[in-house]
Amino acid sequence: MLESQLPVLIVLLVLGTVAKLATVHTDAEPGALTRLGPAVLVPGPLRKPALVCCAVGELVLAAGLLVTTYPLFRWGTVAFFALSTYVLLELRRRRPDAGCGCFGEVSSAPVGVRSISRTVVLTGMALMSVWAPVPGMSGISWWTLAGVAVLAVLSPELDEAVARIRHRAPCEQRPALESAGLAKLKASATWRSHADGLLSAEPYDSWRELCWRFFVFRDRGGDDVVFAVYLTGRHPVVRMAVVGRDDTDSMPEYTAVSA
Amino acid sequence: MRILLSSAGKGRELCDARGVNSTERRRILAAAALGRDTRHPGPDPEGGEPLRAVSGQIIDVSPHLIIVDTEQGVEERLVIAPWATAWHGVDVAPADLPLGAAVIIRALRDGKVAERIWADITRMTGAILSVEGRRDLHVELDCGPHRGRRGVVIPYRATGRIRVRYPQLEPGYLFDAIGVRDQGVGQALLPATSQPGHPARAVPTPPPAYGGAQQRINGTATWSDAFDCDERGTAYPMVERSDAACPDAEVSCVGLPYLAIGSLLHIRNVCTERAANVPIVACGCMAGRFCDRCVECGTSPRGRLAELSPSSFVELGGELTKGCFNARVGWG
Repeated sequence: MLESQLPVLIVLLVLGTVAKLATVHTDAEPGALTRLGPAVLVPGPLRKPALVCCAVGELVLAAGLLVTTYPLFRWGTVAFFALSTYVLLELRRRRPDAGCGCFGEVSSAPVGVRSISRTVVLTGMALMSVWAPVPGMSGISWWTLAGVAVLAVLSPELDEAVARIRHRAPCEQRPALESAGLAKLKASATWRSHADGLLSAEPYDSWRELCWRFFVFRDRGGDDVVFAVYLTGRHPVVRMAVVGRDDTDSMPEYTAVSA
Repeated sequence: MRILLSSAGKGRELCDARGVNSTERRRILAAAALGRDTRHPGPDPEGGEPLRAVSGQIIDVSPHLIIVDTEQGVEERLVIAPWATAWHGVDVAPADLPLGAAVIIRALRDGKVAERIWADITRMTGAILSVEGRRDLHVELDCGPHRGRRGVVIPYRATGRIRVRYPQLEPGYLFDAIGVRDQGVGQALLPATSQPGHPARAVPTPPPAYGGAQQRINGTATWSDAFDCDERGTAYPMVERSDAACPDAEVSCVGLPYLAIGSLLHIRNVCTERAANVPIVACGCMAGRFCDRCVECGTSPRGRLAELSPSSFVELGGELTKGCFNARVGWG
């Protein structure tokens, strides 16, 4: 029984590492780190290194728990989660608006009783595992599942994930890569039936408007061939029109649709 | 404004060899592909007597007539309405404006009657990089990747007024003020809005779109002088970074949809009920960082939806010295 929670701790530490590194790496939304603890507790320039240090520390502990029974890693895990509990309490007191950042950007909800209870439970699990006779993932049992269930109940990230799935941003507000749109176009029947008439397979202009991405090519007659690709769905709608170079109003010679 | 686009790693100018404006061409091509009518830029007719913005340099001015040399080299002669007012750092009589000053005039009657004149007006919008000085403050701003850096001076007499609305006058925070150009240097005299509480690189995320995409969004519309003199258009925050070659785009605290340079935005000034279709001509990455409100008529929801050129702002009934109007934007 003592070793039953080791797999849970290892998986959570690895997940924490990956999520934190991903948040640091994809800091595409400038300032995301200023809303995540414990990064918010340190000065701006140190936020990224603090998150990376935290992630590396978790990875080292996870590796230690996985391959050895050496007490340093086990007591280190206890100390890590105990310290996390203190940091979350401090975070809640000093920055009630900040998320715990335990799993990176997903943990952006303000720190609440559930997050703090979770780190207390994890501290208890780590303390229990100190005297486990075997390392790693070998102790999986019903107790492990019970531990997972308790952590799931105490994880606000699950609510956040469900809310994100249920209330996914509409297509008009979701980023979409130009290259993905071009790939969808080139997989369509409309493209296959008109590709031969184009001067080049690369568009000379491309832009996105709402849920459509437009690609403009030049055909052998010197006219513009415009394709509009709908950005959602595996086999999206593709529309196309040929517009004379000197046309100053919309004069589609024909419009084809493929689904 | 010269705008470069990049697609597949290649830069292009928005004018082709035939002189056809490529933003216009995009609208034609999109309309053809989707089988919709091509919409055209311009004011909605139901907004009352249309306003016209005239910009240029003053050649001559008297209590009843003002003559300006426009960017196109045309001499415009406008009658000054008896109720007309002018601004040149402070409110002045139109006849007291200095010759050679760069003016923007709000004109009625097909652009023949001037009713409001702004002289040498400029707007300084950006993220604060440094603040120096004890009496007059010298502020360096990062105005975004397209507009670069800019040094502005806050004269001692205006520091109190600006500090009230901009309490965090320190690096990393946002700054937006209106003032006059004096020998090429911008002098900040009026705070444009109240300072957002967040730093420039910590823009709040937009609320989740529970009901799907909205067709109309309320917020605030502002103006910027980073456009060509007589240009009609707007900068818009939510353009794809790769399309607009703008690494700081796609940031806004409002759930705006993606549009492109060349798309038309329907902008309504909620305060004056004037509306117009305005083309997007630039990336509004700096406007997107301001999660502030406009209190021109009531309190608007947070977030800048569009950053208009001065001419478009004036033609929508905006007052340049107030800096914003409550706006509703739509598309399609």
